[in-house]
Amino acid sequence: MPNTGWDEFEIGAMLRTFDGGIDDIAGTLQEDRPYSQNSSFSASVADWRIEKPVFNKDYCIDCQFCWIYCPDISIISRDKKMIGIDMDHCKGCAICVEVCPTNPKSLLMFPEKADEEVEIANWPAKETKEK
Amino acid sequence: MAFDKMELKDIEVWDGNFAAAQAMRQCQIDVVSAYPITPSTPIVEGYAKFLADNYVEGEFVMVESEHAAMSGCIGASAAGGRVATATSSQGFALMVETLYQASGMRLPIILNVVNRALAAPLNVNGDHSDMYLGRDSGWIQFDAYCPQDAYDLNFIAFKVAEDHDIRLPAMVHQDGFMTSHTAQGVHTLDDDTAYNFVGDFKPMNDMLDFEHPVTHGVQTEEDWHFEHKARQHNDLMTKVLPKIQTVFDDFEKLTGRKYNIVEKYDMDDADVAVVCMGTSVETAREVALEMREKGIKAGVVGLRVVRPFPFFEIQEALKEVKAIAALDRSSPNGAPGMLFNEIAGTLFNTDTKALLSGYVYGLGGRDLTKKHLVDLYTELQANVDAGKVTTPLQQFIGVRGPKLQFL
Amino acid sequence: MSELKKIKNLKEFSTSADRFEGANLLCPGCAHSIIVREVLNATNDDLVLSASTGCLEVCTAVYPYTSWDASWIHIGFENGSTAVAGAEAMYKALKNKGRLKQPDRNPKFVSFAGDGASYDIGFQWISGCMERGHNIMHVVLDNEVYANTGGQRSSSTPIGSSATTSPAGRVSYGEKQNKKDMVSIMASHGIPYSAQVAPNKWKDMVKKIQHGMEVDGPVFINAVSPCTTEWKFDPKDTMLLTDLSTDSLVFPLYEIIDGHELNITYRPKNVVPVEEYLAAQGRFKHLFKDEYKYLIKEWQERVDANWAYLNRREEARV
Repeated sequence: MPNTGWDEFEIGAMLRTFDGGIDDIAGTLQEDRPYSQNSSFSASVADWRIEKPVFNKDYCIDCQFCWIYCPDISIISRDKKMIGIDMDHCKGCAICVEVCPTNPKSLLMFPEKADEEVEIANWPAKETKEK
Repeated sequence: MAFDKMELKDIEVWDGNFAAAQAMRQCQIDVVSAYPITPSTPIVEGYAKFLADNYVEGEFVMVESEHAAMSGCIGASAAGGRVATATSSQGFALMVETLYQASGMRLPIILNVVNRALAAPLNVNGDHSDMYLGRDSGWIQFDAYCPQDAYDLNFIAFKVAEDHDIRLPAMVHQDGFMTSHTAQGVHTLDDDTAYNFVGDFKPMNDMLDFEHPVTHGVQTEEDWHFEHKARQHNDLMTKVLPKIQTVFDDFEKLTGRKYNIVEKYDMDDADVAVVCMGTSVETAREVALEMREKGIKAGVVGLRVVRPFPFFEIQEALKEVKAIAALDRSSPNGAPGMLFNEIAGTLFNTDTKALLSGYVYGLGGRDLTKKHLVDLYTELQANVDAGKVTTPLQQFIGVRGPKLQFL
Repeated sequence: MSELKKIKNLKEFSTSADRFEGANLLCPGCAHSIIVREVLNATNDDLVLSASTGCLEVCTAVYPYTSWDASWIHIGFENGSTAVAGAEAMYKALKNKGRLKQPDRNPKFVSFAGDGASYDIGFQWISGCMERGHNIMHVVLDNEVYANTGGQRSSSTPIGSSATTSPAGRVSYGEKQNKKDMVSIMASHGIPYSAQVAPNKWKDMVKKIQHGMEVDGPVFINAVSPCTTEWKFDPKDTMLLTDLSTDSLVFPLYEIIDGHELNITYRPKNVVPVEEYLAAQGRFKHLFKDEYKYLIKEWQERVDANWAYLNRREEARV
């Protein structure tokens, strides 16, 4: 939103999340909501990241640990399946990687500039745990 | 509606507190969030009793401090309904943080302020210290001189504050004890007429509209804060006084009672004028008439609206007079009084040759007697005769000990 | 009463449509938003929310952005609870007067605040709200420090923690006072429900939030919120720290019904020594010097005693 003049916004510094009405917010997925330019959904914190998570769906068991523990609503789960990462809102904290229970992990951190396809092609193998 | 209407006589004998409580009842406030403090307590007690007797329908939230009282009012008002409360003095001081928040969020809350001194030393009686404390808070401030005004100005305050072009909170001031506890005849409105004058509350940016969620009370830093404060100041400076005038006109049509943004008494040909607020206006009016019998052309100017300050109306009211006394009922604590400063500001850059002097009076409920005012008018006339202010610019009147005068 | 949202397992929970948005300004790895998400996602009912001044507030409503998909208000540091109580009073008034725009809803009124805004500056306001019986829920995001202003001690800061106003130094081990027991204090108001929760135990959290939203009257929730910045651990370890906090019993999970009936809701299979919890955080680093090791022993004794007390309370059924 551009830095507008004093006469160009609503009184009371009030913000509206949506453009127009939305009947059942909790029953409407993000992609179907009419977010206004004032919702932080419309903004990005991608430039906060130094490292980024890469998702390898081949190993994912859809346990949803990454979904529940993501602080940034950046794990996109639909119909009980993890389908990807919202890279506009991910800050790169790596909690999703830490809580991923698969072996090898289905999520790993890589430098921000890393090529996702290359990293998935070179995904680490299953670790054998020493007893 | 499920509540009972109350039959009122055309003229009831009410003190200022009960008059305000009756007006709050007739406005059918949705939420009152309040905390008791002398001398405003009977307002919220009155409201609570009306609720207990089913003369009003709404929620009365008796909180644990004045800060919480205004916090509750802010939450309730942002939720989207008619909200009011009352306080005085220390309670007002405790509320101050939230007063700025209420006005910054543009929430049309009505606060009845029964004026009382501020400690230390502790004092329960009337002066204007609390009123002055609120003057930069972004609220509209109305001033009642008597119980009738306290009754009428409540309706007027709701109608102004809740207008969608205004959306600013408003205080209705009355003097502690002198107005709040002094019973006088009050011309009433019947319940329907009173409510219809104020009208139904029209929500705006209300939190309880679940299909249009709103965020209230955001953070703004150096890139936005100034614009928001400027917007609020602009609306106070340009929109409020015209709206008040319209509502005063409507009220006069309805009741025959005429209010003015600046009240002028015997000012048409006045040489000397006293500018004051609250109950002092009525005392000064009486003395002005007596002074006229003695050949001094005395007049009185009373502020009906303290904020936004009626700059041009004051300028207009005082443009022909030769000597003016600004009466401040709050210790300026190291400066000229507020009224002195504001009046000086209105007259500076004009052609007036009026002589302006300031008086500090009535702190902690000290009486302003007719004798004080006779002396004061006599002094103003002496200034006129001498062609200059013959006294220091700031004098304390009615205080024991060696004469206190400064500047 | 509205229909409870069915959340049998995490897969089912993951179909929730969040009402809290990303691109907020909370630190990477902040537990606050994990807690907020679990609370909000516990219901599909409409929400009226408040936040007291603090990390959550300054990071989620910085003009011109809001991260909230439900009505939300912030007034000041101390009065978020009263703000939402005022809104709840208005809801009751308008409901009785038949003036609600959507009269068939069952909104939930929730106030979020940090431990500073709850244990300290907002204590009186919360106490007032609990005593008056508003139908609201107050959730403390308890990170045991004034994190938003850079790490000053609050009355939730535990003994031995190094905070900026109670720093560890050559002759000091840091904070000298024990943490205030807010859950008990709030339960003592006789409120229908108070509980301690942790975001790692999401099922326990959801169950408590749902119960709290369904009961009639005020509810107090204390949520442990490990702070990567002030507890001084790597952001990726937020859930590890939460696990350590619950499994060491430093943050036991329990509920108190009607002000007296206490139930322990989580019993770790393997209780972790308090030392492990402390060792994972920079704020306790100095306690591992020889001269302060006695404090770690005292910590363990305090935690053991508290756990024994909670168990006695639970057994006594009083």
